[in-house]
Amino acid sequence: MKWKNVLRLISVDIKSGRLIRGQRLRRYRESRVLQYVMYGGSCLLGIAAGLLVGTLYNGITDPEMKATLLLSAKSLFISAPTLVLTYSLIFTMMRQIQRAGIKASIQPPYWLPITWGEHTLAAILANLIGIQLAALISIILAISVVSIFLGEISLAALTILALLATAFLASATTEIFRVLQVRLTGAVYKTSGKAAIWVRFFGSILLFIAFYAVYFFFTSGANFLAIIEAFASGQNTVWFIPYLWQGMALFSFVNSQIVETAVFSLGSVAFLSALFAVAVTLNSRFGLYEPPAIRISIGAYAPRPSMWGRLGFSLSEAAIMRKDFKAFTRRRELMYFFVLPIVITMIYMMPLTRTPYFQALSIFSALILLVPGASMATLMGSMIIGQEGTPVWHLYSSPVTAESLVKCKYAFVVIFSCAVTLACSTVGILIIRPSQRIILAALIESIFLIVSLSAVSLRTGIKGASFVEIPRPRMIRPVESIINFIICLISAGVILAPLVPYIGTMTGLLDPLPQFYLYIALAISGVIAAILTYGFYRIAMKNAEDFLAKAEN
Amino acid sequence: MVRGPGSAVKLMGVAKRYADVVAVDYVDLDVKEGEIFGLLGPNGSGKSTLLKMILGLVKPDSGSVNVLGINAEENPVAIKAQAGYVPEVPRLYEFLTGIEYLDFTADLYDVSPADKRERINEYLEALELEGREGDMISAYSLGMKQKTALISAFVHKPKLLLLDEPLGGLDPRSARIIKDLLRELASKGVTTIMSTHILEIAQAMCDRIAIMYEGRLLAIGNMEELREKARLPGSNLEEIFLALTGTSDIRDVVEALMK
Repeated sequence: MKWKNVLRLISVDIKSGRLIRGQRLRRYRESRVLQYVMYGGSCLLGIAAGLLVGTLYNGITDPEMKATLLLSAKSLFISAPTLVLTYSLIFTMMRQIQRAGIKASIQPPYWLPITWGEHTLAAILANLIGIQLAALISIILAISVVSIFLGEISLAALTILALLATAFLASATTEIFRVLQVRLTGAVYKTSGKAAIWVRFFGSILLFIAFYAVYFFFTSGANFLAIIEAFASGQNTVWFIPYLWQGMALFSFVNSQIVETAVFSLGSVAFLSALFAVAVTLNSRFGLYEPPAIRISIGAYAPRPSMWGRLGFSLSEAAIMRKDFKAFTRRRELMYFFVLPIVITMIYMMPLTRTPYFQALSIFSALILLVPGASMATLMGSMIIGQEGTPVWHLYSSPVTAESLVKCKYAFVVIFSCAVTLACSTVGILIIRPSQRIILAALIESIFLIVSLSAVSLRTGIKGASFVEIPRPRMIRPVESIINFIICLISAGVILAPLVPYIGTMTGLLDPLPQFYLYIALAISGVIAAILTYGFYRIAMKNAEDFLAKAEN
Repeated sequence: MVRGPGSAVKLMGVAKRYADVVAVDYVDLDVKEGEIFGLLGPNGSGKSTLLKMILGLVKPDSGSVNVLGINAEENPVAIKAQAGYVPEVPRLYEFLTGIEYLDFTADLYDVSPADKRERINEYLEALELEGREGDMISAYSLGMKQKTALISAFVHKPKLLLLDEPLGGLDPRSARIIKDLLRELASKGVTTIMSTHILEIAQAMCDRIAIMYEGRLLAIGNMEELREKARLPGSNLEEIFLALTGTSDIRDVVEALMK
């Protein structure tokens, strides 16, 4: 193995971060200040933490307390590899997920004189660079400094070695998973034929939901620490798991069990070597794997009049809508639209469920009917033009008028958002069981919101469309996205404003209103929504004219 | 505006700048109906911009563009409806299959289902894409993508074809089919304006050729007229091109590299 090759490959991998960050360098100048600040900061943090703990420890005069603290520190040393294993696995996998989404990916340059061993080692090490490495540096320095005060230098040295091995182990595992995942999905597509699209569709959605579920699990309180503690305290009972052998070696060392220390240390080295060998073997077998072509239709081509045509859409409008539907069910980066209503609703609902009002008032259950469709209209409307990406030249070069473009894109967003509302509402109503009055009012308001917010966000979507595809489709310029969010929020507020007195009476903040007030409020809300829709639709049309006339941009 | 007799495309004093860069520098051009017209020039000489202007995709800073009797600035949609365009890099919707893509583009041009079916199937068979039309475009080779883009440009029977490097990536058989097809279409009055770097193709196919350099038209005419302009009797298009664009110091460059 040529170590210089490994270092060069790592360097290339680091530079591939430019794709993720979307940097466009000119004249090969790149500021690395941020990188140095991150690593420098982690060094300082680690040293400072070590000094602080060490000084506190030295300052304690009570021998009993000192002994307790020393024991706690040793426990922390023992559990450190498990901690590093967990976060390294999470971060390296997140990095791979991030990379999977970018258009240009790093392929091993098979025509260059590089061995698979060098490539795999570089991939494993490069995967650790970034936050993982910064955190590892902090922990290692903190342990080093604090061990001087504790007089546990040999334990610290062994811990550091264990930490490095654990980080490598985690990254190697991620690399193995990456190669297997590429191979497996390819094989599934190949055997699934036409169903491959749906396999990918539902597979991706499940992956997103699983990812968000894990995210919420870790961010919703003390669960993360609980897991770590459970791992650290209970690792003796699961000694047969090789990923915990580093911690076991430290535990044995602390308890002066020399044979066990040697066995677990050697076992760790053997496991690490085996894992690396597996990663190399898998890479050499599947590393240059080309995904098989997905065949969707076979047999004679027989075009039929489309459903959209019968609904009053022209051939070209219907064609664009059909194409968009295929885009949203086939393009991986667009599939998260199906997950977003669930996630956004969860974000809204989770804090609310903890409030006493939520249990008492079923009015909040209306949110599950309002939020998914409205958020879908806001997001999709703003991205429906930008999602065209570089093939947008089809819209420029074909005889599509601004009127047709706005009509079909608007209709698509409204129909899609209504479908989402229907699906989420059905689930929400079955689970929460709000009153019929609330269901009716919320559904009507949801339609008002979808119709108007679709027009609002389409206006921004056309004006702020971004067709940049590398590193990943951007779809809308960030500033326009923020502006869109603000305008949509204000518009939604204005549409829902007539209902505020009604909500006030339900929450007991206001005196009771006559029953018919709800219907008056809904009517006023509808009028506001209609005015907003008309106004923003007209602006969208004007924006579309400019958009089609400025194809050169 | 009334168009001149037999003119398919008429450009008068057309200019376009991008910041400090002059893309097209006051160009006059008159391309006749049924003509195969070649646009040659080094990279960045303004060929693609000129094609985009003809299609109404780029507004000129000055001058007028008349296509099939229509002012490109006033009614670009009407021009697009009668033109077929293949850009230099045809970025297709990779999540569609070949047939879905062709169906989509034919619909954009309002081709009836019956015509669509007949024409698409004919082209698929002719360009040997039959059997692969159900594959996702993401799995297509460069040549297959180019064939797909070409079919989408032909499928609505356009009166004007604007082709930017149309034969790039095509296998010899398909390239020959496209060349013969363009000749046949020309005989039926279809005008083709093509930009290419393959000078042999331009020489063999085009009725007239324009050589562009830094946004200007250096020369325009058939082969004889170009030879006269370059004062190189009996020369081929490559020699004329290099002489006119001032890039004939090839030997010196190669010798310098060999050192």
